[in-house]
Amino acid sequence: MAKSVVSYGSYIPFLRIRREEYISALGSCGADIKEKAVMDIDEDTVTMAVEAASDALAGVDPARVGVLALASANFPYGEKFIAGTLVEALGLSGSVLTSHHGGSALAGSEAFLAALGLLDQTDREYALVIVSDAPQASPSSGLDHGFGAAACAFVLARDGSGLEFEGACSRAGEFMGLRYRTAGETGVRDIGVGAYSSMAYNETVSASLSGILEKMGRIPGHYRCLVMPQADVRADTALAKKMGFGEDQTRDGLVYNLVGDAGCCTPFLGLCRALESAGTGEKILVCTYGAGSGSHSMSFCLNGPLPASPRPVGSLLEKKRQIGYIHYLKLKRII
Amino acid sequence: MGAHISIPMYRRTVPQRYRLAGQRCTACGRVNFPPKAVCRYCRTGTGFDSVRLSGRGTVYSYTVIAGGGAPPEFSEEARCKGSYPVVLVELEEGPRIIAQLVDPPEEGITVGMKVEAVFRRIYEEEGVIRYGFKFRPV
Ligand SMILES: [Zn+2]
Repeated sequence: MAKSVVSYGSYIPFLRIRREEYISALGSCGADIKEKAVMDIDEDTVTMAVEAASDALAGVDPARVGVLALASANFPYGEKFIAGTLVEALGLSGSVLTSHHGGSALAGSEAFLAALGLLDQTDREYALVIVSDAPQASPSSGLDHGFGAAACAFVLARDGSGLEFEGACSRAGEFMGLRYRTAGETGVRDIGVGAYSSMAYNETVSASLSGILEKMGRIPGHYRCLVMPQADVRADTALAKKMGFGEDQTRDGLVYNLVGDAGCCTPFLGLCRALESAGTGEKILVCTYGAGSGSHSMSFCLNGPLPASPRPVGSLLEKKRQIGYIHYLKLKRII
Repeated sequence: MGAHISIPMYRRTVPQRYRLAGQRCTACGRVNFPPKAVCRYCRTGTGFDSVRLSGRGTVYSYTVIAGGGAPPEFSEEARCKGSYPVVLVELEEGPRIIAQLVDPPEEGITVGMKVEAVFRRIYEEEGVIRYGFKFRPV
C-alpha cells in the first residue's frame, strides 16, 4: 500500500510585473526574476487555493475526500478557521478532517506530510493538500522585489497509481533574524547579513537532502529531477551542484524567475511543472526551506500516469497581463 | 448607495455564492439559480434536487461601471481598476446571472463570449471578507 498523488492542479495569478518595471521606477531590482505573478485586488491566498483545488478535484468525487490540509504563511485572516471557506467553495464533506499550516515557507511540506498521516484517521479514500502563498514585505524594502504569488493542490490517495510518496527527511534548528515577522506585522523583515543567511540555508538544506539520500539508499544520479526551495535560486544552484546534482536535474522544477518567490508554494509549483515532463518510473526529490530554519526533503516515484492538469503550469505561465509599478503599488494598497 | 447585506443573511446564501449550488425542479426539470421556494419556470414545482452549476456560460449582455458609479463596498476595487465590467451571463444550465468580469480581454468584451465562474473576494466590510463568484473569459 503506497500513498500517492493521484491528481494535481495549480494556479498563477493573471497579472505580472517585469524586472524592468522595478528598474525604471526604483533604479534597480533586488531579485533575479524576469517577471513575477501579482494577485489582483480581489484575490488572496484563499481564492488562489480554490482555483488550484478545483482543478485537482476535476475527476474526484468531493464526498470521498476525508482530509483537508491547508498551507499558507499568508492566510487572509490572522485568526479564523479558514478550512470552512474551502469546504463550502469546493463542496467537500462537513466531516472532513482539517489541518492548517503556516508560519514559514515550510508550511507546504508540513501540510503534505500531515495529510499523509491524517489519511490513516479517515475511512475515506482521499486527502486534499492545498498550498497557496503570497509573501509580503514593504515595497520600500528589497525583500518585496522577488515576492510573487501562486497556489497548487494535490489529491493524495491511500493506494493509487500516480506519484508515489517514498519518504521524507527533516532538519530543524535555530537561526533567528532571517525572514521573520512579529505578531501583528504585515510584512516580513530580515537582518540582511548575507553570510549568515547563506550559512543557515546551506547547513539546513544540505542536511535534509543528504538525509533523504541516505534514508533511501540512493545517489543524486537516481533522480530525474530535484526541485529546490527557490527563495534564493543562486544559493539553490550552488548547493545542488555541490551535492552532485546537475543542471539538467534542477531545470524542470524551476518557476522562480517567472513567478517570483511564492513562499511555501514555490517548490510545489515546481513539482507540478516537473510532473508535466516526467515519465513513468522516474524519481523526483522535492526540497523545502523555511527561514528560522527548517527544511524537508521528500522523495517521490512516478509509478503510473497522472491525469493531465486542466491548466498546466506551462499554460498558466503564458496566460498573463503585464502591469506597471504604480498599478502594483495600488494592488499592494500602498496608494 | 450600498447594498448592505448582514453577515447572517450572507451566511445563508454561502452555498450559492461559493459554489453555485442551484436546484433542479422535479416537476419541469429546469434549473433554478438562485434557489427559489417555488420554481420560477413552471410556477408550480416545489420539489427540487440540488445541483451544482458548472459555472460555464456565455455573455448575454454587459456594461462597464465607471469608478464614480461604484457602490461604496466596491470603492477599493474601482480606485484600483478605474472602472470594471459587469456581465449578464447565460449559464449552460439556463439561468442568467449578473456578476463582475475579471481579466477582461484587451480587444473588448463581446456578446456570446464564453466565460467561466471564478471564486473571488467580492468586498470587505467590518473586516469580514465576502467571497463569491465573478466571471472570467475562457
Ligand atoms: Zn419547474
